[in-house]
Amino acid sequence: MSSVAVGEPAERAPGRKRRGGREVFLPFLLLLPAVGLMLALYAYPFISSIYRSFLVKGQGALTLSNYVKVSELYLRDIFFSLEIAFLSTAVAAVLSILMATYLRLGSGRVVRLIGSVYRLPIFIPFVVVAQMMTTFLAPHGLLNVSLAQIGLVNLDTPPDLLNWKGLTFAFVWKQWAFMTLIVLSGFEMIDNTYIEAARSFGAKLHQVILRILVPMSRASLSVALILAFTSTVGTFTLPYMLIGGKTPTTLTVDIAHRVTYFGDYGVANALGTIAYILVVFTAVYYLRYTVRREVYEQ
Amino acid sequence: MGTKRFLTRTVEVVALVLLCLLIFGPMLGLVIWSVALRWYWPNLLPQEIGADYWRQALGLEKSLAVGAVSITGSLQTSLVLALLVVAVVMLLSTPVGYVLAKYRIPFKGAILLLFLMPQAFPQQPVFVNLLLVFTKMGLAGTFQGVLLVHLMVCLVFAVWISTAAFKAVPSELEEAARSLGAGGLRTFFRITLPLAMPGLLASAVFVFLTSLDEFTGTFFIGLPFVATLPMLLYSSSGFNLQFASVIAIVLLIPSILFMVIIERFLKAEYIGGIGV
Repeated sequence: MSSVAVGEPAERAPGRKRRGGREVFLPFLLLLPAVGLMLALYAYPFISSIYRSFLVKGQGALTLSNYVKVSELYLRDIFFSLEIAFLSTAVAAVLSILMATYLRLGSGRVVRLIGSVYRLPIFIPFVVVAQMMTTFLAPHGLLNVSLAQIGLVNLDTPPDLLNWKGLTFAFVWKQWAFMTLIVLSGFEMIDNTYIEAARSFGAKLHQVILRILVPMSRASLSVALILAFTSTVGTFTLPYMLIGGKTPTTLTVDIAHRVTYFGDYGVANALGTIAYILVVFTAVYYLRYTVRREVYEQ
Repeated sequence: MGTKRFLTRTVEVVALVLLCLLIFGPMLGLVIWSVALRWYWPNLLPQEIGADYWRQALGLEKSLAVGAVSITGSLQTSLVLALLVVAVVMLLSTPVGYVLAKYRIPFKGAILLLFLMPQAFPQQPVFVNLLLVFTKMGLAGTFQGVLLVHLMVCLVFAVWISTAAFKAVPSELEEAARSLGAGGLRTFFRITLPLAMPGLLASAVFVFLTSLDEFTGTFFIGLPFVATLPMLLYSSSGFNLQFASVIAIVLLIPSILFMVIIERFLKAEYIGGIGV
């Protein structure tokens, strides 16, 4: 990167003193307001959410009783959250690899059209996706009524989709497009010659995908997987509006219920800390990858 | 060979039709519901359609019907909030983006980490604990409280987008200006800032949309007193399908419109975080 040369303009500019006092403090002065805001409104509540998960109202000492309560009441929901996250991330990943392959290898007007249409879900906020899916997947919603027209569904006993099925469908619908965008950007960095060489040696399509495209774009694929997984575990809007307080439901819905119905911040924070733990491996990988990339690019 | 090619084509067409149905099906439902006056199963389409709900929602027609919602108040709250958020966030994030892109500073990793954490971990527990703090300070349920939460949520994206915008400015141009005798401020305002402007504008639009669509933070800090559009959509989604659909479409239009325009300035990673 050419920006290597930029670091510390004071040293670069001819005829200037090296490292004048102002030049050292100026960057920190510029950072101060935003960093202060993040420390107060993000870092403090983040740390406090972990700390408070060990506190019980009226008790001074640290205790594990919130976690005991979680294990008694919410174990099923913790696994439900994980199942939804793994299932929808896996399905969306497979679909996005197929889509990105189609867009990478294909050409022509149809491919270009598809290439711009598939992105639509990326721009639709979760609250709108939730509303959309509530009506689309309802017992007598558009999906079941349409399927009934071709005889696939009996409307007197419509299948219930407002559970893990609908939730997975909605998450896949939203995440798949955004994963395709990231995966495709990885695929596009692979030189055509690799693919042509494999093809000319008789590689089948699935071999091109599994031996060339996927292994050579591992970095962007893992970023796509991580962001989709984390966002699925942490999203509150969609499960809250789609399945709400049904059993089982997701961790995020439980946290809201704990706060709004019981004013019980201890258990809510224990659930929140467990949500952190569920994503800790993917989060650490993502943070290390991104910080390194940013620092090396300097 | 001919039949094989025909088969591949057929598979391709069927897959594309299925894809379009899956992408547009749910969106189509929204549009139909927003104009459905009477719609009972097993009919595929409503028996009676009209713009009545749109007119009521937009305040063109007063209705005394139970559950009739006017969105004008919420729309105003949402717009004022989003514009304020854009102004403050751009003021805060532009210097950060510049420093992160152009300076080698100590603790850089830690500062980067602070702005990456909200993307890597669930944010809901943070909102829950902000609610505790804000309740003590009298900020819970107030416009100011919601403004602060939106600032935090949007600042993260703005910092990343503006860092990328400043990185894209060739340092040779800045050095040329400085070697010709321009001072630091003059170089910044005459060279760096104008060249980074398209990226910064994209960041502003992105912040505007993120604030407009923000749900979880507003839910915890704002309810029941601050009714932004997403909150109004939530509260009418249970019993008032038509109004909820109207609001959903009102939220959908600016998102799709602006995002398609600014998308080329943005990394996919940030786009994915919108409206959580």
